[in-house]
Amino acid sequence: MSPLSFGNHIPGLWAWFDVVIRIAIVTLVMTVIVMYLTYGERKFVARVQQRLGPMRTGPWGLFQAIADTFKLLTKEDLRPAQADRWVFELAPYVTFVPVLMVLVTLPFAKDWGVRNLSLGMFYVFAALGLNIVGILMAGLGSGNKYALLGGLRAAAQMISYEIPLVLSLISVAMIAQTLDLNVITELQHRRPFIVLQPLAFVIFYTAMLSELHRAPFDIPVAESEIVGGFFIEYSGIRWSMFQLTEYGSMFAWSVFGSVVFLGGWEWPWGGDVGWGYQLFLTFLKSFIWIASILWVRATVPRLRIDQLMAFSWKVLLPLVLLQFLMNGFILVYGWPEELLFATSSIGAAGLIGFIVMRGLYRPKSPSLVGAYKQPQGSSA
Amino acid sequence: MATEVLWWIFAIITVAATAGTVFSKSVIHSAIFLIGSLAGVGVMYVFLVVDFLALVQFLIYGGAVTVLILLALMVTRADPTGRPEDTDGPQKPFGVVVGGAIMAILIGVAVSTSWPNDVSDKAHGIPIDTISQKLFIDFGPPFVIASALLLVALIGAIILARHEEGE
Repeated sequence: MSPLSFGNHIPGLWAWFDVVIRIAIVTLVMTVIVMYLTYGERKFVARVQQRLGPMRTGPWGLFQAIADTFKLLTKEDLRPAQADRWVFELAPYVTFVPVLMVLVTLPFAKDWGVRNLSLGMFYVFAALGLNIVGILMAGLGSGNKYALLGGLRAAAQMISYEIPLVLSLISVAMIAQTLDLNVITELQHRRPFIVLQPLAFVIFYTAMLSELHRAPFDIPVAESEIVGGFFIEYSGIRWSMFQLTEYGSMFAWSVFGSVVFLGGWEWPWGGDVGWGYQLFLTFLKSFIWIASILWVRATVPRLRIDQLMAFSWKVLLPLVLLQFLMNGFILVYGWPEELLFATSSIGAAGLIGFIVMRGLYRPKSPSLVGAYKQPQGSSA
Repeated sequence: MATEVLWWIFAIITVAATAGTVFSKSVIHSAIFLIGSLAGVGVMYVFLVVDFLALVQFLIYGGAVTVLILLALMVTRADPTGRPEDTDGPQKPFGVVVGGAIMAILIGVAVSTSWPNDVSDKAHGIPIDTISQKLFIDFGPPFVIASALLLVALIGAIILARHEEGE
């Protein structure tokens, strides 16, 4: 066996109890965080827009999340007559289970996670890739054309952005020479990997926003166009499971991103400050990460679908391949680490500069990054 | 012990999902059952302690290939509400012949191959370094040729799909 887990030394049946207890803790913590993330998001976005947000339920509206939860759990669970019964009813579970699976391998502190898998990073994106299936099932099973459109958009978008996402993570794995999340964290003792791989970080962040359907990539759930997208027909507890998935995967991606790029529990205090500080460090980093996601949501307008696809295939993919190639050259020839930083930060500056320029200046053609052009009459 | 119980549960799920793929009357249901079937095979790989293969199976077949099938079904005229459709056509006898032939070949090959006898009963995982060594160095040329083939197919598909622009 490969040196797998934190709990591997426990023999026999007790290992199962150990796993169950650890999973229960992680799931409960995630659920509470998700409940308060909905409150936090409303407050944060309200502050950005110079409003107060929920204020009436408890002090500063703190009980709003609990009230919302009770409302959702007691609401009637409707199923449209046109819906495909089992596909419709199972879709929320299929969407949710992958997020739960990801929590298994995230290292929250030194030697604390449910299990440490030697292929941890690979496991995370293999598992998170599976929740497209649930979204497609919701889209197909609802018997509603808006749900179908939402599912179609979600699938197209998630498949396209998975490629730059995975390649940017592989760029980091090339430097770390491992896929074990715990070892990746330990390697960031002196500097987090964001310093060595700023371009991969920017690409990962963008692609992650798209995988989460957060603004500006929230076209699968765009209210003004397709009135809510793939979960339009859901209500009550099934709808709340979609919400739980959305915020739960936001939390999972944030922890994962802060472990891979920001040094997780290791940087800047090192590995022996005790698990309390490490836990604090992990959560601090992931909450900063979540806050940045909310900030982007509050300030950036939504993209059009052709712009979205073009941005993935024509901008992110070539850049991430360049990063990949550059890492390969530098690592194979053993060039110094500073060169990794130099090349990658030039790339990152280029990408951010490009996005800012496109935001500031109106492009000459109506297409943002070379959208699909309508055929000019001649050929049918 | 617990592993064996789990193995039987997942084996039954896999076989049931595979049967569902074949016998379901709606194309959409077949595609969803296919996901279950392929994911079940992935779980079998986990029982065989080949973690890497299992994750590849989940990522490629569970997350990508079947999603592409569902995506393709969404843009066709397949009925998304899962009502039974007429799936029998004139292709039925040919389907039986091809399916039976493939099954016969697979079983024949599996039975007639002389498998190496020196394997121990205890499963042990293969470190990922060994896999990458085999894949990229020992079998490097086939890997490169396969990727070039895929690239050609990709570019060909793009050219076919975009020909209406009048180029």
